[in-house]
Amino acid sequence: MEDSAAPIAGYAELDVLSNFTFLQGASHPDEYVLKAAALGLRAVGIADVNSLAGVVRAHVAAREAGVQLLVGARLRFQDAADLLAYPMDRAGYGRLCRLLTLGRRRARKGDCQLYRADLADWHEGQLFVAIPPEDLGPGDLGPEADSVFARYVTELGDWARLFPGRLYLAARTRYRGDDERRLKFLSDLAGSLPIPLVATNGVLMHGPSRLPLADVLSCIREKCCIDTAGYRVLDNAERHLKPAARMARLFRDYPDALARSLEIAGRCRFSLDELRYDYPDETTREGRSPQEELKHLTWKGARQRYPGRIPEKVSTQLEHELSLIGQLSYAPYFLTVHDLVSFARSAGILCQGRGSAANSAVCYCLGVTAVDPDRSDLLFERFISSERNEPPDIDVDFEHERREEVIQYIYEKYGRAHAGMTATVIHYRTRGAIRDVGKAMGLSADSIAALATQASGWSRDGLSDERVREIGLNPDDRRLRLTLDLAAEITGFPRHLSQHVGGFVMTRGRLDELVPVENAAMEDRTVIQWNKDDLDALGILKVDVLSLGMLTCLRKGFTLIRRHYGAAFDLNSVPGKDSAVYDMLCRADAIGVFQVESRAQMNFLPRMKPRTFYDLVIEVAIVRPGPIQGDMVHPYLRRRNGEEAVHYPSEELRRVLEKTLGVPLFQEQAMSIAMVAAGFTASEADKLRRAMATFRHSGTIHTFREKMIEGMAARGYARDFAERCFRQVEGFGEYGFPESHAASFALLVYISAWMKCRYPAAFACALLNSQPMGFYAPAQIVRDAREHGIEVRPADVNHSDWDCSLEPGGTVDVTGQAMALRIGLRQIKGLSREDGDWLVAARGNGYTDPLAIWRRAGLTPRALDVLARADAFSSMAIDRRQALWQIKGLGDEPLPLFAAAGEEDRGGEPGVVLPPASLGEEVVEDYAALRLSLKAHPLALLRAQHPDFASLTPAERLMEIPVEAQVSVCGLVLVRQRPGSASGVIFITLEDETGVCNVVVWSKIFERFRRAIITARLMRITGRLQREGIVIHLVADKIEDLSPLLDRLGNGISFQPELSPADEFSNPVLPQLKQQGKTRPVPRPRHPRDQAKVLFPSRDFH
Amino acid sequence: MPRLPTDRLIRQQGSVWWDKALAVTAETGNRIVIAAVTQAAGTSGIAPGMTLADARAVLPDLLTLPSDYRADAAMMERLARWCCAYTPWVSLDGADGLWLDVTGCAHLRGGEQSLLDELLARLGGYGFCVRGGLADTPGGAWALARCGENRSVVPPGRTREALAPLPVAALRLEHETLSKLTRLGLRRIGDLYALPRISLANRFRLDVLYRLDQALGRRAEPITPRAHARPYRVRMAFPEPITQASDIAAALQLLLQRLCTRLRQEQSGCRHLEFHCHRVDGDIQRLEVGTARPMREPKQLARLFAGHLNQLDAAFGFETLILAANGVEQLEVFQELMAVGEGEAVGGSGSVDEPVNEPASGQDIAPLVDRLGNRLGFGQVRRLQPVASHLPERAYRAVPVFEAAAAEQGTAWPPGRPRPIRLLRHPERIETVSLLPSGEPGTPPAVFLWRRARHEIRAAEGPERLTPEWWRDESSWAKGARDYWRVEDESGRRFWLYREGPLRAVVPVQWFLHGLFA
Repeated sequence: MEDSAAPIAGYAELDVLSNFTFLQGASHPDEYVLKAAALGLRAVGIADVNSLAGVVRAHVAAREAGVQLLVGARLRFQDAADLLAYPMDRAGYGRLCRLLTLGRRRARKGDCQLYRADLADWHEGQLFVAIPPEDLGPGDLGPEADSVFARYVTELGDWARLFPGRLYLAARTRYRGDDERRLKFLSDLAGSLPIPLVATNGVLMHGPSRLPLADVLSCIREKCCIDTAGYRVLDNAERHLKPAARMARLFRDYPDALARSLEIAGRCRFSLDELRYDYPDETTREGRSPQEELKHLTWKGARQRYPGRIPEKVSTQLEHELSLIGQLSYAPYFLTVHDLVSFARSAGILCQGRGSAANSAVCYCLGVTAVDPDRSDLLFERFISSERNEPPDIDVDFEHERREEVIQYIYEKYGRAHAGMTATVIHYRTRGAIRDVGKAMGLSADSIAALATQASGWSRDGLSDERVREIGLNPDDRRLRLTLDLAAEITGFPRHLSQHVGGFVMTRGRLDELVPVENAAMEDRTVIQWNKDDLDALGILKVDVLSLGMLTCLRKGFTLIRRHYGAAFDLNSVPGKDSAVYDMLCRADAIGVFQVESRAQMNFLPRMKPRTFYDLVIEVAIVRPGPIQGDMVHPYLRRRNGEEAVHYPSEELRRVLEKTLGVPLFQEQAMSIAMVAAGFTASEADKLRRAMATFRHSGTIHTFREKMIEGMAARGYARDFAERCFRQVEGFGEYGFPESHAASFALLVYISAWMKCRYPAAFACALLNSQPMGFYAPAQIVRDAREHGIEVRPADVNHSDWDCSLEPGGTVDVTGQAMALRIGLRQIKGLSREDGDWLVAARGNGYTDPLAIWRRAGLTPRALDVLARADAFSSMAIDRRQALWQIKGLGDEPLPLFAAAGEEDRGGEPGVVLPPASLGEEVVEDYAALRLSLKAHPLALLRAQHPDFASLTPAERLMEIPVEAQVSVCGLVLVRQRPGSASGVIFITLEDETGVCNVVVWSKIFERFRRAIITARLMRITGRLQREGIVIHLVADKIEDLSPLLDRLGNGISFQPELSPADEFSNPVLPQLKQQGKTRPVPRPRHPRDQAKVLFPSRDFH
Repeated sequence: MPRLPTDRLIRQQGSVWWDKALAVTAETGNRIVIAAVTQAAGTSGIAPGMTLADARAVLPDLLTLPSDYRADAAMMERLARWCCAYTPWVSLDGADGLWLDVTGCAHLRGGEQSLLDELLARLGGYGFCVRGGLADTPGGAWALARCGENRSVVPPGRTREALAPLPVAALRLEHETLSKLTRLGLRRIGDLYALPRISLANRFRLDVLYRLDQALGRRAEPITPRAHARPYRVRMAFPEPITQASDIAAALQLLLQRLCTRLRQEQSGCRHLEFHCHRVDGDIQRLEVGTARPMREPKQLARLFAGHLNQLDAAFGFETLILAANGVEQLEVFQELMAVGEGEAVGGSGSVDEPVNEPASGQDIAPLVDRLGNRLGFGQVRRLQPVASHLPERAYRAVPVFEAAAAEQGTAWPPGRPRPIRLLRHPERIETVSLLPSGEPGTPPAVFLWRRARHEIRAAEGPERLTPEWWRDESSWAKGARDYWRVEDESGRRFWLYREGPLRAVVPVQWFLHGLFA
């Protein structure tokens, strides 16, 4: 009894599951560490089930909180009870990684299969804590319980023999009424073997308030509802971290068990800081060291980049960078990237570095990036700094169709034991959270569906009462309230690990002794358990091998230009400063141009009127959620157009903001403001940026906010300016562009614009051949090409290749040559690549009838049917219906006996006359089979058919209408967007035969015409016209769904124009898991970067 | 009947739902799609085939209910029976249609047109959205009803012309065939007339020709009327009324045997029997018995009636006896044992030739339950069933015995947590004396006072800590977690006590007694 008064020896909690044991642990690793620090625990050990995925986060938190962290894992065997494994040293840690890799690699993705026998090879250097099974214990009598007991005693005996002196038995109080008996029982069991007993608390949550969440996680895991969960939920909230004093009271009769927790913590001195990361040796020539090799290559590259003389500025910069790289010994890393880029070049794959690497002159000279350091001010310290002690991050984009070659090259070069892809932790986002929690809380399927449709309306505080009421639910309902609160709480919880888009880690030592490696969903891919932030925190270098559709397009374009126009260009040799290119951009003639083709960008171009390369850099950076939310766009425009005086809040900020006319637009500037104006240190500013990026740590943001605004106020800045700056930093955290990155992208903007301007036929052709990519569907690309005077010819079995191609003919365009664009077979829906290739290969001098294709190319009637639907037989003078009729008459197999006979001999059928197709039917069929029609635009047909269309204004005539005039337009819906940065406003783009029309729908109008907006394929919109420069908007007052007219046009064949990949209503609530590939090529937003993609969509930027 | 599922629901729910936008949903794969909609929902843009989520996006306050195919089918079955008023030759067509062969019946209703009009009007009056057509052939009528003008009647021999303008979809073709035809521009049935039969046969296997021939009467398509379900009823009429109780019992025995023979043939048993005795003066005397499980043993069933037969008032005698079985359910054949049930001895017949259909088991309390049930009413005989819950008062539920039998599998009493034999309905407050300051959890009291008796605690085990179910609002658990103790007093009696209140509070800690072990 007086034990409770005895001095408390302290305690270390060893049995903790974090939420990286998915759907089990109910707290983040860092929450445990902070709580442990607050409770004054000596140490805390986080051991997730067969995983080390969460340890780095815990490690980082522990480093800051000053608590000892034991890194370990809870081994869950297929044939034994759980063991906690805690490495004592680096070697032990390596073995644990190997063991987990073994179990993970033999199982499916996300799974792990370990057997007792596996431990025999990998147990050294680790301490183990055996967790007795739940059903072991006193009270349970009978043969069942006896056999459990007997089995467990044998198991413990085996373990004790395998690692004598390194095994402990865990005991915890369960609060089930029999704790005293059970502790005695376990203590006797431990004494009889003998194995020392250690006190734990089986922790599932950092504090008792997480009980509901823990229960909901159980329900999600068990796929049941909270009302029927029964014994699957917890009986009490005791499984949380407890202070030493309470543990001492619980274990008052077993003080040794308590002390042993400290003993274990004392024996396990391994820390992740010990991971000495060895970068693989890179091949060097002529006996040079990596640093010498890098120097050699850099100067060699510099001489090529600057054929005359290397500018002073550049050579100084190079010297500076090289010495810093040498100092931090990053040379091999640069050599790796150089090697990848050289490989890609040798294989003819276009590539270009992006991101902060573009701040480096070395990267420029190595050919990794393309931003000329001579022409811009680079902030090398943003890329590498000795102070930040954080590895450089070089992201390289490759052509999206050929990136796999680069990936396989890496595996080949380093071997699977030394190279692996980075993981991405998939977190619960609002939609998934509401779906899973809603199901667990027993909400009806349609309430959940209704809530999920509102997901985009969720702020960080959850869903507002009005929004809940709006969808017909009662926000005062307790169950609903609980659900919403829990959904908000679960948001940010990791759900599973996935493969990062392209992050690669290479090591000299074995990778699987650094971190467990597991299988990815894709065959032949292996993924490590850590993500990008984890690697950054541990200073492990990685290379991002990313893919970019525009590079594919440009490469195809260059090839076409070389073949058909005889001019050789590449990314570096495109002539710069071409004023015709800028003229084109100023007209917002930018369909297909990288980055600036989205609607928001196209609106912005005529206002921005870019004339120089740097204007493009700004253009890329400015139309982003960060600057938009920070309200930076309009001030910039006003200043640029001279409508507002450029002034600087202070002289010190003039230096930072001069080139963007006093308006902060780039990430670097936002950080510089924090440093210059609010007195942040460089590392503080960087921490600020990071705090923003991972928004689930929203708690820490407030401290920065205070510091920044107060700091600026103290230096004499206006408070509202400070507020605005902070808002912008906040926006940047999630979607910001550093200047160097914007510059890299701007280069692609220029090159693609140049190609569109100078070789429009080749550009359109390359764009079509790189689909799916970009913002526009093929129909708009083709239409744009025709508007630029290019003749587009239909897909035809006798003329088309698989890809779209150029053929002589048509009118002479800007190139001085006449090139027509022939639609390729790839455009035909449902035709396989193989069939297409056979068709082309066996073509010879051409086919005379469908039967010939059947015979010579061996295409199945099914494939022929697909061709017929695409009306690809017109060169045979057979129309669609005749072709279909003839093909339907073919059997399933070519008949060998008749093969020698004349091809017309089969059947002897009477000729038939089929009802002729109207033009409308033809057009609709074209859209159905090819996603576009060259014959006519549906709107042109409708206009001719329906007299009341006469009152509608064609899109091209909107220019002539006075502002504020009431007009009606009608068109096919191309895209509907609801950007998060524009509260509740919907943007719709309509297309008619003369052009496109941009419509703005305010949320009130949206509610009124909700159904039409969501379902219509053809809309008539009446509204007021607004114009700014040459940008025209229609502000909608009335929206009508005219889709039935389209169906009537097709006379029964439903007309489904292809929506832009960016459209946001075509599939409001598809579950995330079902997304993969099948339904739509664009994944739902997950990463903040992807989120940005939806806001300002273009599949090209990241 | 294009809106049958919603029409049925509206009928069920009454007129409040008349003009509501209502949809019935069905789950296909992972998606929930709209299966049927009311007119109101239809005009708001909801159409069958949409996913629920899309429909919600269009109409946020759409009412939805899950589909119930069985109830729909049962409704169609009832409608088919109702239609027998027009012709005996009625059959179901798919899930939402009915065929009526009115050959020779039309004149009874004033001709074909008025028959059709009347039929449709009456069905419409019942709240069904219904379309109909009448033609020479079933295929023709099908086409008219679904694709033609509503209520149209094709005069004899004019089917070909009548069908020509209808879309090919009216031919009951598969979706794929239809889209092929549409692609060829063959949209109306008339377009097909001109085409050579061989060409059609080559291209569409046989289904287009087959359906076309059926519609035009070139191929016979007989309508098979529905089979009538035979009610489980047996009847016995007497030339002379009977009055003697023994005669009635013997007649009942015979009736039971006839009924049970049929039940055995169909491998089923009944749970409810009605015995109607028609008296010569027109009065009907009724007896009812129920059983806990489906049964088909005449002996056992007769025993259930035994106590009630004297309630019958024969007066001038019964001329007809009718025995009807309700609640007929599937009853598998058991291994037939040569066991003698305890009832045999009581019955005194001593015969063992009647096989007993139940496995002999010491725990079989069914006969007891049957008797109690027939005395007290089956709803009154209840037993406790485990419910998975950590909270003691939620961990069981009293259910009528015969329902329990069906639901019993799967749940078990939780192991390892002793619960008192008797749980008080409301925990009772007790006064306690503690040795230690009572703010400290982790100790039971030393002495407690319950119902004015003083109990000195000699032994105690605990605590078992239970947390209220956070997702439920329950006043009795409003004070938070409880620590339960098992305690034994000086005379060896065991109690289940709990301590309520904040775990760390110093003052207001209260103790309650919740149950008795022994």
